[in-house]
Amino acid sequence: MAGRGGRALLALCAALAAGGWLLGAGALEPGAPAAAGMRRRRRLQQEDGISFEYHRYPELREALVSVWLQCTAISRIYTVGRSFEGRELLVIELSDNPGVHEPGEPEFKYIGNMHGNEAVGRELLIFLAQYLCNEYQKGNETIIKLIHNTRIHIMPSLNPDGFEKAASQPGELRDWLVGRSNAQGIDLNRNFPDLDRIAYINEKEGGPNNHLLKNLKKIVDQNAKLAPETKAVIHWIMDIPFVLSANLHGGDIVANYPYDETRSGSAQEYSSCPDDAVFRSLARAYSSFNPSMSDPNRPPCRKNDDDSSFVDGTTNGAAWYSIPGGMQDFNYLSSNCFETTMELSCEKFPPEETLKTYWEDNKNSLISYLEQVHRGVKGFVRDLQGNPIANATISVEGIDHDVTSAKDGDYWRLLVPGNYKLTASAPGYLAITKKVAVPYSPAVGVDFELESFSERKEEEKEELMEWWKMMSETLNF
Amino acid sequence: MGFLWTGAWILVLVVQSSPIQAFPTPEGSQDKPVHNKELSAERPLNEQIAEAEADKIKNIYSPENKPGESNYSFVDNLNLLKAITEKEKNEKERQSVRNSPYDNKLNMEDVDSTKNRRLIDDYDSTKSGLDHKIQDDPDGLHQLDGTPLTAEDIVQKIATRIYEENDRGVFDKIVSKLLNLGLITESQAHTLEDEVAEVLQKLISKEANSYEEKLNKPTSKTESQSGKIPEKVIPMAAVQDGFANGENDETVSNTLTLTNGLERRTETYSEDNFEELQYFPNFYALLKSIDSEKEAKEKETLITIMKTLIDFVKMMVKYGTISPEEGVSYLENLDETIALQTKNKLEKNVTDNKSKLFSAPSMKGHEETDSTKEEAAKMEKEYGTLKDSTKDDNPRGKTDEPKGKTEAYLEAIRKNIEWLKKHNTKGNKEDYDLSKMKDFINQQTEAYVEKGILDKEEADAIRRIYSSL
Repeated sequence: MAGRGGRALLALCAALAAGGWLLGAGALEPGAPAAAGMRRRRRLQQEDGISFEYHRYPELREALVSVWLQCTAISRIYTVGRSFEGRELLVIELSDNPGVHEPGEPEFKYIGNMHGNEAVGRELLIFLAQYLCNEYQKGNETIIKLIHNTRIHIMPSLNPDGFEKAASQPGELRDWLVGRSNAQGIDLNRNFPDLDRIAYINEKEGGPNNHLLKNLKKIVDQNAKLAPETKAVIHWIMDIPFVLSANLHGGDIVANYPYDETRSGSAQEYSSCPDDAVFRSLARAYSSFNPSMSDPNRPPCRKNDDDSSFVDGTTNGAAWYSIPGGMQDFNYLSSNCFETTMELSCEKFPPEETLKTYWEDNKNSLISYLEQVHRGVKGFVRDLQGNPIANATISVEGIDHDVTSAKDGDYWRLLVPGNYKLTASAPGYLAITKKVAVPYSPAVGVDFELESFSERKEEEKEELMEWWKMMSETLNF
Repeated sequence: MGFLWTGAWILVLVVQSSPIQAFPTPEGSQDKPVHNKELSAERPLNEQIAEAEADKIKNIYSPENKPGESNYSFVDNLNLLKAITEKEKNEKERQSVRNSPYDNKLNMEDVDSTKNRRLIDDYDSTKSGLDHKIQDDPDGLHQLDGTPLTAEDIVQKIATRIYEENDRGVFDKIVSKLLNLGLITESQAHTLEDEVAEVLQKLISKEANSYEEKLNKPTSKTESQSGKIPEKVIPMAAVQDGFANGENDETVSNTLTLTNGLERRTETYSEDNFEELQYFPNFYALLKSIDSEKEAKEKETLITIMKTLIDFVKMMVKYGTISPEEGVSYLENLDETIALQTKNKLEKNVTDNKSKLFSAPSMKGHEETDSTKEEAAKMEKEYGTLKDSTKDDNPRGKTDEPKGKTEAYLEAIRKNIEWLKKHNTKGNKEDYDLSKMKDFINQQTEAYVEKGILDKEEADAIRRIYSSL
């Protein structure tokens, strides 16, 4: 009797357990047919077209396409390449002239989910795209101004393969590691060429600390150690003159800024970059709008976590813990782009129900950080005929890090408020220095007209002829 | 007395030219205040002269000055100098005329070794262009031996020029200019005439002497100059007529006897000139190419222009106003420019020489090319067209998507149309063009399918929705 009853009981328990498990996991298995998905959508929270749920790859695509369909005038979807397993690395671009770099308009990017199991960033970026579109159409002036004056690129996931792996795990089993790396097992945030080392050597021995990536073909394209995702992003960075960027992560709550790698090689050491002041300001611009990030009394995510380096919700990367080959420093040292890393959640892959809260917490930060691109100094470097001078160097006295002008001669130099001397120079031209008083915002326009050496020589020739003419008139030649 | 004014206006002239532009240097700053500084630095010239001659004058001074008539501080100096002139003048004349070709030639040779120095060498790409300094001698004019240029020398030079030009007009022009500028008064102008006449007289007499010595110098230019002689004689006579004092008789007779001497003198000078002009290939070529018979006058003008210009530069170099390198540089530039100018003038006759004239010796800024330019080229290549490369990915289809999303798309499209109707930027709401939108959508969905952003089915669905509107 006990055996039969026991078996029945066991079966019942198993069924219940399975049912419960299924129920619990059901919400997080978006592999279900679309009809079910539809039902799910109605069940879960939805606000203004934004459904606060996890998007697997197909849903991600669908969400971006919906944004595009809704806002065709100001958006465009493109891909920077494919992941190892062939998923497109999708980007949605928002701007008043999508697909076109308007001279003088700064370029901005958000990248999420480079660790596949750090899911909040991915979702937030999808929400952000929808939000920007909605608000634009509602007439939100801040958003309209942003979209008209910036070219915003949003890449919700740099590691879609990793996400799929992580998302496929049943809820409880999602852990700290599965899905973090790409399909090849490469940690993308350790996979970038380590330019920090080169910069540190140059600091000691003399040399530049900007645009250090010299041989793109050799170091990137022919480098077997780089993941396809990494290569795609590097080309993206080299291709578009990004000014400001943020890289969204999970596992803690803090705004992290360069350098990420310690100078001495130790595990923890504040390692400031030449633009330390600017970065602290940028990081704070994000953290101050995020209630948990800026909460001075927030307990650490895990009991034994060391967040001694956190100040106002921000931290220097290397002061927290040193990492080589990160994407953040790569941006700073290979291009004009300033990038920070935002850690958005103590749990890497939190329950779907919490997504709405994460959105509420980060919505204002994301917009505020976007606005930071309109700070400092910007302008054009041209020759005396008004032709743009591309790749001119713009250096700031007192800050040992130069930026260069883009193809249309346009440049952007993020700076905290203060008085600066900016010098524009280019090979074959006479350099010009200008003094600028920089407020908090907006960016001050400073243009440069450079005179080429040959022009100067021409001028002097003319001067001589003038003089000669005058003399000859006097003496009647 | 006359030297007083002559010297005065010479110096004023020299000084006057500075504010317009001090002799431009390769490293000349564009900074006007610096030029003004030069100007003021040159002003003490008269003081320098005073100091230098003070000693000499103490011994030879003869009272002929009219001190009460001017505001110029040159007054005293020039009066004092007049006495000296008698004694020293001939010597100096011979020196200045005879030695100058040689001196200048030496100068030219020195200058030549630096001729190949390019402007670009003076620029260091790591330095700001604003750092360039002016290198010339701020003290003013000096002779080679270091003694300051006397007013007398200046008078001498001008008189020489008048003589060489055989044109009284030179003098007239200068004087009228000075009068217009208010730098001299009428009486001063008259006195000036006297002085110049005096100097001229001496020049002529000197030439008479030197003519004998140079009688044997043949030149191929004899014939070319022959046509000019009558013309020269006439202005010469005119010059002589113009002089107020009773020097006319002497000068006229001198003139007549010196006709040939004049010719010779000019020839000699031309020859010297031509040797010098070797250093100006463009100009030389131009000269050679001019048809001597038809364009003799033009040729003459050209030679004179160039010759005088060279002299000026040489003098400037000699007196330390500019450095030899700068002088070369400017002559180089001038060579090109003058050749150009005259080419325009003589275009009909010298079409053959166009190619020669346009040889451009000036360097470009490329000598500063370094690896950053390479990098720039690379960067530009990478930037490619205005649109970024994000559109260049390979097409690839995706797996089937559930049709449920059609609803979502429908919703999105609906919102889009609504918004477009409301915010049509072209102006009138009525003008909103749905068909344009449809075309755009068709185009875009095509592109997206190609890139793998959309599947075919989705794209079809979207197009269907639009077409049903």
